[in-house]
Amino acid sequence: MTSATITGPIASQKPSGLRIGRILLYVVLSLGAVLMITPFLWMVLTAFKNDLEIATFSWLPTELRWRNFVEAMQSAPFLRYFRNSLFIAVGETAFTLAVCTTAGYALAKLPIRGSKALLSYFILLLLVPFQIILVPLFLIVKSIPLFGGNNILGQGGIGWLNSWWGLIIPLGAAPLFTFLARQFYVSIPNELAQAARVDGLGEFGIFWRIMTPLVKPALITICVFQIEAAWNGFLWPLMITTSDSMRPLQLGLAIFAQNPAEIQWPYLMAGTALATLPMIVMFVFAQKRFVEGMANVGIKG
Amino acid sequence: MSATLEHPTKTAAAPRGAAPVKESRELIRSQVRAGWILLSPALLHSGIFIVIPVLAVLVLSLTDYSFGDSWSWVGLGNYADLFRDVDFQASLVNTVLYAVVVIPISMAIALAVAVGLNQKIKGLGFFRTAFYIPTVTATVAIATIWLWIYNPGSGLANGFLSLFGFAPNRWLADPATALPSLMVVGIWQGLGTKIIIYLAALQGVSRDLLESADLDGASRWQKFVNVTLPALSPVQFFVLITSIVGTFQVFDLVYVMTRGGPGTETRVLVLDIYQNAFQDLKLGYASAETVIMMIVIALFIGAGRLLQKADVND
Repeated sequence: MTSATITGPIASQKPSGLRIGRILLYVVLSLGAVLMITPFLWMVLTAFKNDLEIATFSWLPTELRWRNFVEAMQSAPFLRYFRNSLFIAVGETAFTLAVCTTAGYALAKLPIRGSKALLSYFILLLLVPFQIILVPLFLIVKSIPLFGGNNILGQGGIGWLNSWWGLIIPLGAAPLFTFLARQFYVSIPNELAQAARVDGLGEFGIFWRIMTPLVKPALITICVFQIEAAWNGFLWPLMITTSDSMRPLQLGLAIFAQNPAEIQWPYLMAGTALATLPMIVMFVFAQKRFVEGMANVGIKG
Repeated sequence: MSATLEHPTKTAAAPRGAAPVKESRELIRSQVRAGWILLSPALLHSGIFIVIPVLAVLVLSLTDYSFGDSWSWVGLGNYADLFRDVDFQASLVNTVLYAVVVIPISMAIALAVAVGLNQKIKGLGFFRTAFYIPTVTATVAIATIWLWIYNPGSGLANGFLSLFGFAPNRWLADPATALPSLMVVGIWQGLGTKIIIYLAALQGVSRDLLESADLDGASRWQKFVNVTLPALSPVQFFVLITSIVGTFQVFDLVYVMTRGGPGTETRVLVLDIYQNAFQDLKLGYASAETVIMMIVIALFIGAGRLLQKADVND
């Protein structure tokens, strides 16, 4: 594998040596892929098994017990959890889009004084891990004035605790998405906005009708990341929800898995499949968006 | 105000020459106004839900606040108590151990896989999807699946190992294997993001440099060490920082799989903070713990920076 491989006369050696290397590469990568997928396969297979089959180790169920899915839905309100997760994901994504595209556009295209400093501010904030602000965030959400029995000073009630507001608003509109949106708008030429201005279109019209349609693919990137984050969230709903009527799927799963001695594994795996499938489907369809988004944040950010 | 606006006004008016200066100044003003209006929701939101909490955690850490009306300043008392708290010590040690084991291993595996995927292989989409699926999946779901895999009686882990004649292991219930079992899941789940970032970065490595290294007769390994790795350095640092922050935040996995047990073998910082704050209602104490976590994360990032600098200088 030294210079010999690139000089002409001995080039005939190259294929055989390379081929073994390539076969090895495929074998190793395939093994890796199997390691990644097997747990999910095992989850699906378990979801179809009966109680006897899970008493010992076995790969395949003897029959596909579709009933398990129905019974799982009856043993815990998984469907309601699912609906709650969906509601939180959609609400949070809409909120994020509204707040982050406007801010990102303003930072990228409008002549605000100190817009550089403001950009640094958002970049700095995107480094703050959620776990750091856990305790005070809870107190702030509890003291939102005039909600949940609070007076105007935010005292006396529970504020946004155990409410859709509390589940959706605090974790939406992450600085990361403002930063991403800004990056997308920056790449659009100013001439378009300038031309629209000459035609007498107002600033908000320019933002909404001219510039935003041009970053549509980028907005989809923001959507998939926000949907994923909202769907997979656990700690925050765990902290602020007290009733089943608002709990998302991840929390429902964790509650169902609470007592390992009595877990009904087929039901739990059926519920887990329900929790994982939507995101896997979304990834398969929006793979390009995920990859581009990750690459953007990782390499340019 | 007008002084700073003069410059943009001129440039905006310049191309059209005859445009009345007054009108374009008004135009600029309306742009500035629109800018602040569009920006204000994000500023308000980040102020209330990020900046105030960050400052509040510092203040809270100096108090004995616990939801009630009466509270008092305790100075550094919480911090002093923390250093005598065995649960906290165990959590800190476990979290650091978790980070120190998971980060390098997952970075090395991810880099190796990314280099493999970068060899113009067939089925790139399939492999990428396979490696990324654990990352898009909720950690709680991952945790329940692995809870079942590690089940001592009929789980996949013992079932698979028994094929090779290994005796069954108790995995999460055994103090010796509990934390390593969690580390395996952490490594497994975190590969996808890193692979995709590395893969994108590898595609940006200069072809010219690689080709001239070829001409100099460099071996593959030499090319990797001398050309590819240095070119990846900024991305390595990004991956390192996000991994540090990510591993220190580990919670969902532990909460679902072990609750910190057996004993305190898998107790981690965020779990300890969560329990101090929301079960024992010691919010001031939990805040002090958070501040220490911030400091440890900062130390790790600083160490990572030094490592990277040393690497570049080599």
